[in-house]
Amino acid sequence: MNTTEELDIITRMRGEVKSRQDVTGENLFLAWGYPTVLVLLAEFAALMIWNEDWCVWLWAGIPLIGIPLMIYFLDKDYARTHSRTHDQNNILVMWIFIGFASCLGGCLMGFSGVFRQAFFAYLSLLCGMGCFMTGIILHFRPKTICGILSSLLSAVPLFFQNDLWPWQLLVTAVTITISLIIPGHLFRSYVRNKRFE
Amino acid sequence: MSNFKFQVINPLLHSELRLKIMVALDSLKSADFMYLCQITDSTRGNVSTQITTLKEAGYIEVSKSGIGRFSRTTCSITNRGREALRAYEEGLRRLFSERVPDEVDATRKKKEA
Repeated sequence: MNTTEELDIITRMRGEVKSRQDVTGENLFLAWGYPTVLVLLAEFAALMIWNEDWCVWLWAGIPLIGIPLMIYFLDKDYARTHSRTHDQNNILVMWIFIGFASCLGGCLMGFSGVFRQAFFAYLSLLCGMGCFMTGIILHFRPKTICGILSSLLSAVPLFFQNDLWPWQLLVTAVTITISLIIPGHLFRSYVRNKRFE
Repeated sequence: MSNFKFQVINPLLHSELRLKIMVALDSLKSADFMYLCQITDSTRGNVSTQITTLKEAGYIEVSKSGIGRFSRTTCSITNRGREALRAYEEGLRRLFSERVPDEVDATRKKKEA
């Protein structure tokens, strides 16, 4: 091989890798969005009906449903593309960090009562920021807009304090719908349309 | 000039298939064995041999997961491999530009200025 051929191979391979890159992860937002909203609604109903200590264990439903679904969809995506891009990896790492931060806040709230009044504002803000950053990385504007909207709405739960506290759950269900479920469905249809093109 | 030329030609990367694998892995976070076979349009045996060579040189990392029919070999480039590829590409570009006739080079430099 001479210099020109080698440089040509390098350029050609970069182009080839780029052209094969497929947008994936269309189900991940939904895999976390639906369990979170369902658990929030279940928790709200349980607090309204029973209001007992065991209600706190309902929160375990989010990771118990979300983690297997996430692993399943990640594996499915990898089996189709056989590769993972730097962008996909960055988004995954960012959401794992958000997941841990939410879990830590949830544990503080659930087991010690600390952070009780501000937790849902914090959770909504984290999800809104995650959605915004994902939209920026993927150049998908609906996610960016939903992320901004959800971040702005994250202050609303703070208006429901003390006796009104359970209503924070319903407001958070709305912000999670805006930051995960709506952009999740929009992204899913975008990816499917792109794949069929 | 001749000294420089010898420094540029990293024998490990001066092979078409190895260079293709390295460039593909440089553009991705990770890729599995099947992906590398498809993108380089090479046989499993060839890719496997070159992967072993690159792994021994510390240019790539190889991890295996799953059992039997469901096993998956995933490769990713190491920092050392990335640096070697950058140096190699830079060297090739310098060599290429030195071969460009002086007049063309002068015109190009004028345009850049």
